Amino acid sequence: MSSVTIRGVKKKYGAMAVLHGIDLEIRDREFVVLVGPSGCGKSTLLRMIAGLESISSGDILIGDRVVNDVPAKARDIAMVFQNYALYPHMSVYENMSFSLRLKRMAKEMIDRKVREAAEILNLSTYLERSPRQLSGGQRQRVAMGRALVRDAQVFLFDEPLSNLDAKLRVVMRTEIKALHQRLQTTSVYVTHDQIEAMTMADRIVVMNAGKIEQIGTPLELYDTPANLFVADFIGSPSMNFLRGTLEPGAVVLADGSRVPVETTGRGAAGQKVVFGIRPEHLSLSSDGTGLAAEVEVVEPTGANIQVYARVAGMPLCAVFTERHDFRPGQTIHLAWPGRNAHLFDAASGQRL
Amino acid sequence: MTTKLTRSLIYWALLSPLMVVILFPFGVMFVTAVRPREELFVYPPTWGFSEFRWENFSEMWVKTNFGGALLNSLYVSVAATVVALVLSIPAAYAMSRYRFAGKGAYRTFLLMTQMMSPIVLVLGLFRLMMSLGLVNDLNSLVLTYAAFNMAFTIWMLQSYFNSIPRDLEEAAWMDGASHLTSLVRIFLPLAVPAMVVTAIFTFINSWNEFVLALTMMRSSEDFTLPVQIYAQVAGRYQVEWHHVMAATVLATVPVAIMFSWLQRYLIRGMALGAVK
Repeated sequence: MSSVTIRGVKKKYGAMAVLHGIDLEIRDREFVVLVGPSGCGKSTLLRMIAGLESISSGDILIGDRVVNDVPAKARDIAMVFQNYALYPHMSVYENMSFSLRLKRMAKEMIDRKVREAAEILNLSTYLERSPRQLSGGQRQRVAMGRALVRDAQVFLFDEPLSNLDAKLRVVMRTEIKALHQRLQTTSVYVTHDQIEAMTMADRIVVMNAGKIEQIGTPLELYDTPANLFVADFIGSPSMNFLRGTLEPGAVVLADGSRVPVETTGRGAAGQKVVFGIRPEHLSLSSDGTGLAAEVEVVEPTGANIQVYARVAGMPLCAVFTERHDFRPGQTIHLAWPGRNAHLFDAASGQRL
Repeated sequence: MTTKLTRSLIYWALLSPLMVVILFPFGVMFVTAVRPREELFVYPPTWGFSEFRWENFSEMWVKTNFGGALLNSLYVSVAATVVALVLSIPAAYAMSRYRFAGKGAYRTFLLMTQMMSPIVLVLGLFRLMMSLGLVNDLNSLVLTYAAFNMAFTIWMLQSYFNSIPRDLEEAAWMDGASHLTSLVRIFLPLAVPAMVVTAIFTFINSWNEFVLALTMMRSSEDFTLPVQIYAQVAGRYQVEWHHVMAATVLATVPVAIMFSWLQRYLIRGMALGAVK
């Protein structure tokens, strides 16, 4: 097991820059998730750690060894691919033992390791099957087993759950997390699904357009997003944004309504700002004061009710766990605890 | 069940004209090959014959030196197939996996060579083989057949190689395999269907080729099957049609059987690209 250090790493394809200087320190035994929309460069970064993509500039270190020019086969890294990449002409056993056979390990040793990994992953009865005879979840586990038998320094996961159906994805998510807790191998996990990132990660790296937007624990990102992109990306349904002008003690919206907010030390009066509040932090105000919103659509999910409404022409979503009987067209008044309100500069998008 | 039966009958009825057109020459070939010599030119022509003459085949075998020509054909076709495959696989792999300047132009060039008839090149090739001292040498055919088929084999193999997920090789590298190891143990085993299909095509093309063989081979002991059969017809005062047809049956049937046996690889090959 080992740490991974990324220093000023850039990637260019011809004139097109995909990564604009990434700095990241992944600690030993840590589970780090790279998350971002498609095309943000997260998979490219992972493949650079793996040694499958060249590094245009900067350094990647595994432990304290610079691996820029070390070929993939010599980096001692295991990787789980999105489409599993199981060798179709080999049985499960052969798939899992391939790397050990390449190392010319003794037969009994290989056998012991494969059976151990198969035991952990509940694959013991499938060892003689070929990959095409397995279900999606089982293939996924074989792919992990192939990584597991190797005792590699680092595990890389490239969107490993995105080919599974929704239910299985949740199950496998928990399995991978439990596996990491058991083995403690340094892991880098790429996904575009923020829920996956939130539930699995020790730390999340939010990426956008070839840059890191924020690095932090899941709750840090949720509670104090550094900018509008992170605020919008983390959380589901995503945070509500109301554009307005900053005045002492409030944000004034386009229609003149005032959104009360703590403003001391946060920007100057007259500054264009974005007020942010998460749907789950909104509640009905008991005394009829608070932000007036006109209900448009009500979506009960069973566990809660999602209400889509409009405030000063801007869309807003609120989630209630209590049951309310809202009708489209109805005006409701919303309140929230002051500590849950976020404020961003409209021009730069940075948190105030 | 009955609707399925009626439907099958209708389909076969619709297919039958095509089958008649395709099978007619084979039918004529076969009944001519097995009837006695005296019944070759009866009028009006009939499908029937008085006696099944298997001896036609053995007579023909001896009289036309069929065995020698068969060995020549086998040698030329197998060798041309091997040469074409051995040279095409690295080319197709490079075209499928690496980016390099002029790749698109090279592909177009390969396609364009397919539009040229070998007959146009016959004179030039003859002079080339002349200067290499290969006229009347079966290896001249091996070289030219391999060369003529390579454009197709590269094209075909490349299309198939493209369908083998790159992830598989990358996974092998991550597992600690060198490029060569991943090629030999992961990539090529998966490419077997494509190699079989291209091998069949190259083999059949070489087996049936006539013009180049006629040009390059001067002495009759070096003739390949098509030329040998042709020699039974051309410039003869009397043509032994039953022998010619017997030879034709023997030259076509093994290839037809092999092709129908190996075509399952073709279908499996088409499906394998769909592995998720």
